[in-house]
Amino acid sequence: MDIPQDNSIVSPQTFPYMVAAFASLVGLGLIVDVLRGKHGLPEGDEPGDPYTPLNWKTMAIVATAIGMHVILLEIAGYVIAATVCFWGVAYAFGSRKILKDLAISTVFAVIVYFSFSKGLNINLPSGFFEGILK
Amino acid sequence: MGNNFAMLMDGFQTVFTPTNLMFGLLGTFLGTLVGVLPGIGPALAIGLLLPITLTVNPTSALIMFAAIFYGAMYGGSTTSILLNTPGESGSVITALEGNKMAKAGRAGAALATAAIGSFVAGTIATILLAFGAPVLAEFALTIQPAGYLALIILAFATVGTLLGTSRIRGLVALSTGLVIGLVGADLQSGALRLTFGNLNAIDGIETVTVIVAIFALGETLYLASRHTLVKASVLQIQGKAWMTREDFRRSWRPWLRGTAIGFPLGVIPAGGSEVPTFLSYGVEKAISKNKDEFGKGAIEGVAGPEAANNANAAGVLVPMLALGLPTSATAAVVLVAFQSFNIQPGPMLFQTNPEIVWGLIASLFVGNFLLLVLNLPLIRFWVMLLKIPSHYLYAGITTFALLGAYALNNSTFDLQVALAVGVIGFLFRRFGVPITPLIIGAILGPLSELYFKRSLQISQGDWGILVAGTFPKVIYGILILVIIGPLVWNFKKTFAIKK
Repeated sequence: MDIPQDNSIVSPQTFPYMVAAFASLVGLGLIVDVLRGKHGLPEGDEPGDPYTPLNWKTMAIVATAIGMHVILLEIAGYVIAATVCFWGVAYAFGSRKILKDLAISTVFAVIVYFSFSKGLNINLPSGFFEGILK
Repeated sequence: MGNNFAMLMDGFQTVFTPTNLMFGLLGTFLGTLVGVLPGIGPALAIGLLLPITLTVNPTSALIMFAAIFYGAMYGGSTTSILLNTPGESGSVITALEGNKMAKAGRAGAALATAAIGSFVAGTIATILLAFGAPVLAEFALTIQPAGYLALIILAFATVGTLLGTSRIRGLVALSTGLVIGLVGADLQSGALRLTFGNLNAIDGIETVTVIVAIFALGETLYLASRHTLVKASVLQIQGKAWMTREDFRRSWRPWLRGTAIGFPLGVIPAGGSEVPTFLSYGVEKAISKNKDEFGKGAIEGVAGPEAANNANAAGVLVPMLALGLPTSATAAVVLVAFQSFNIQPGPMLFQTNPEIVWGLIASLFVGNFLLLVLNLPLIRFWVMLLKIPSHYLYAGITTFALLGAYALNNSTFDLQVALAVGVIGFLFRRFGVPITPLIIGAILGPLSELYFKRSLQISQGDWGILVAGTFPKVIYGILILVIIGPLVWNFKKTFAIKK
């Protein structure tokens, strides 16, 4: 880390070192806790509940939908990014009415786009629709 | 005291302008909406709406946020009673008796005692807030930076160790939050910390991004990881949402007792809204004449915890407004909302921004009243919302969260941060790590460094100043009790079992 020359009494490194020391201690404590067999209880489970295996497929689709939103936003514009994301998450959670979902996603994205850009003056990338969605 | 009353009346005048009333009404509506919908709590709802701080004036926006804060409490109880899925964490206990009552065809009475109890508790607690917070603020003016540092460390300890089931996991969340809070340029020297050469990170990680991502994206990823196609069934309301004279007779004492438990536990941070509701439930069960009814739908078991829940929410606002110390996730978001208007809650707030703070407090009274008159008649509308298919609900939450993260700075970097924090939120839920300490750490971490540096500047580098004076000593004394107390208690318990 580059430390600018200054005459302040406390170096900018002091507090981070304290946080680092605290975090290391806590980390050690967690390792000890887990080694002693105390695994964390997943949220929503009661002690003694049967173990719920992870549903990797659903999770992967949701993560992809979020990732697509991040990638598409500045390339293709808000409406397309949000439509893809909404549709993807709905699909992941078991909805199989593909066309109906697509319609709902698009309407949702367009309403959000207009209420934020026109109603609240918050500019969202218009992407392909520049000129049409003005 | 008289002066405060006049200020409060001015606050009512601020609220009773058409614009502010409209924002208050919108807030109660949105608050109830997010309270009813499982998966979105008040913290997330306010986080998602923070972009409006860019265009709406501070008073109106804060009035709306306050209305959301209370509205979510009301809405949460509806979901607990009818769906047996708590809409937010303070309503977990309500589901115990409330859902049993609904199954026995007494949903109307359960909803009514929850709503009226919330109103009674909310009103009493707001009165206590209106007259307590200025007194605390006045005292707080005499607190030195070292004293503030002590208070923050106490807040870290209580939030970190009292929340959730595992103390060490609470501290894991806290230290993760502290590290997130370190990212960016050091305020005094400008030294870049933990930015790893990324120019976008110089301004630090946006707290709002962290809050929105950890709640919305983390929760959606977690629910996806446990996704099965089991549907919860919504119970129908038979008859009107109202109570009989007998219900009233059995409810009013639990309402008052719930308020007495909830408010103080909000002022002194004791681990979120679950603890007071649990306590209230325990008290009602212990002193009830109808003990055999508990577990089968006792109205006292709904009335007490619901009152405790609302009184607690108002109590949390006391240290938030008077000291600038948030002790719950929702209070933390309200603090961020203040900060985005360049207003710093704390002892000076009552002097520098009286119209905002008194407008906010007055709006709590108004919001509470609106919630009472709007919610019971509209109950069938809220029940309809529970029938929104969950896949659209999660799709909407996810998309909205990403919008909230992006709209603050129009930056894709914030979206990448959101995705990373969402994964942290998933892992935390999966391994039983509580979420709130992370948020408190991320918000109060930088503040604690500030007070730490100020103290050492005053003392010219002598660390002794951190424990000099009566106030810090008292606070550190309480801190030791908070840490040692549960250990001794646990030890005694294990000892007793072995014997």
